[in-house]
Amino acid sequence: MEDADLARAAARGDAHAFGRLVDRHGIAARRAARAILRDDDDADDAVQEGMLAAWRAIDRYDPARPFRPWLMRIVVNAALDARRRHQVRRAEPIGETLETGGLGPDRLAEAALLRERIVASLATLPERQRIALVLFDAEGWGHAEIAAALGVPEGTVRSYVFHARRAMRRELASLAEGMR
Amino acid sequence: MMEHTPFDHAPDPELGALLREALTGPEPEAFLHRVRAAVTTRDDQWDVLERWARPRVLAAAVAAGLVLWLGVRQLAQPELDAGVMVASNRASTVLSSQPPSPDEILASLWESR
Repeated sequence: MEDADLARAAARGDAHAFGRLVDRHGIAARRAARAILRDDDDADDAVQEGMLAAWRAIDRYDPARPFRPWLMRIVVNAALDARRRHQVRRAEPIGETLETGGLGPDRLAEAALLRERIVASLATLPERQRIALVLFDAEGWGHAEIAAALGVPEGTVRSYVFHARRAMRRELASLAEGMR
Repeated sequence: MMEHTPFDHAPDPELGALLREALTGPEPEAFLHRVRAAVTTRDDQWDVLERWARPRVLAAAVAAGLVLWLGVRQLAQPELDAGVMVASNRASTVLSSQPPSPDEILASLWESR
């Protein structure tokens, strides 16, 4: 079943249909929220708030348009609002909460360091570049979809992705040098 | 001018994998379950509140209307009392041996209209 069909059913009050939309897009929404907020709990709360807002506004969604950017725009706004609310609070690095995957202590430490550095590198990017990069490279979204989610022209998204990638590659190259 | 390369038009799989790994977070299934539960539970709570609130809002509106009506009626009461005063003033003017003041004449003329 397509997103638009599920959204139509949800607009008629079918909570199960909305639950399926949460299943489909919840993890991508979580990654985008984490790219904005860094703090795990704040990001998860923001996704929850965003999903709740989307559920309440589902009857205003136009099924003729793609659902994913509509939902992500609500979640991103929820995350940005949360960030504004917690502006003064210093975010903790995400590293300690990541899954271990059964690696040995050395590899584990290396993987944790890499993640920490990636998150730290992401944090140095301007907010919209960060979101665009995550949606484009991690989620495989097209420029047009990201443009719709962020409410900016497509060319601006291309520019965000270009600059964000350049900065990230520079950071990761210096990290690789340091690990040798 | 900004330099875009053909590689910028497609996702970078390596960078994408690193970002996904760094940002996904623990227990994605449990997270989705939490969000689903929170959304439907909180919505149920809103429904319950809405159902509870509707008749009570109506009752409150009726009570407010009654209070408003009583208030307006209370404010109108002194005017009725003033009317009684004017009527008795006219009677006392007729019975009095003193000549009436211009105000009393005007009041009695106004009342007789």
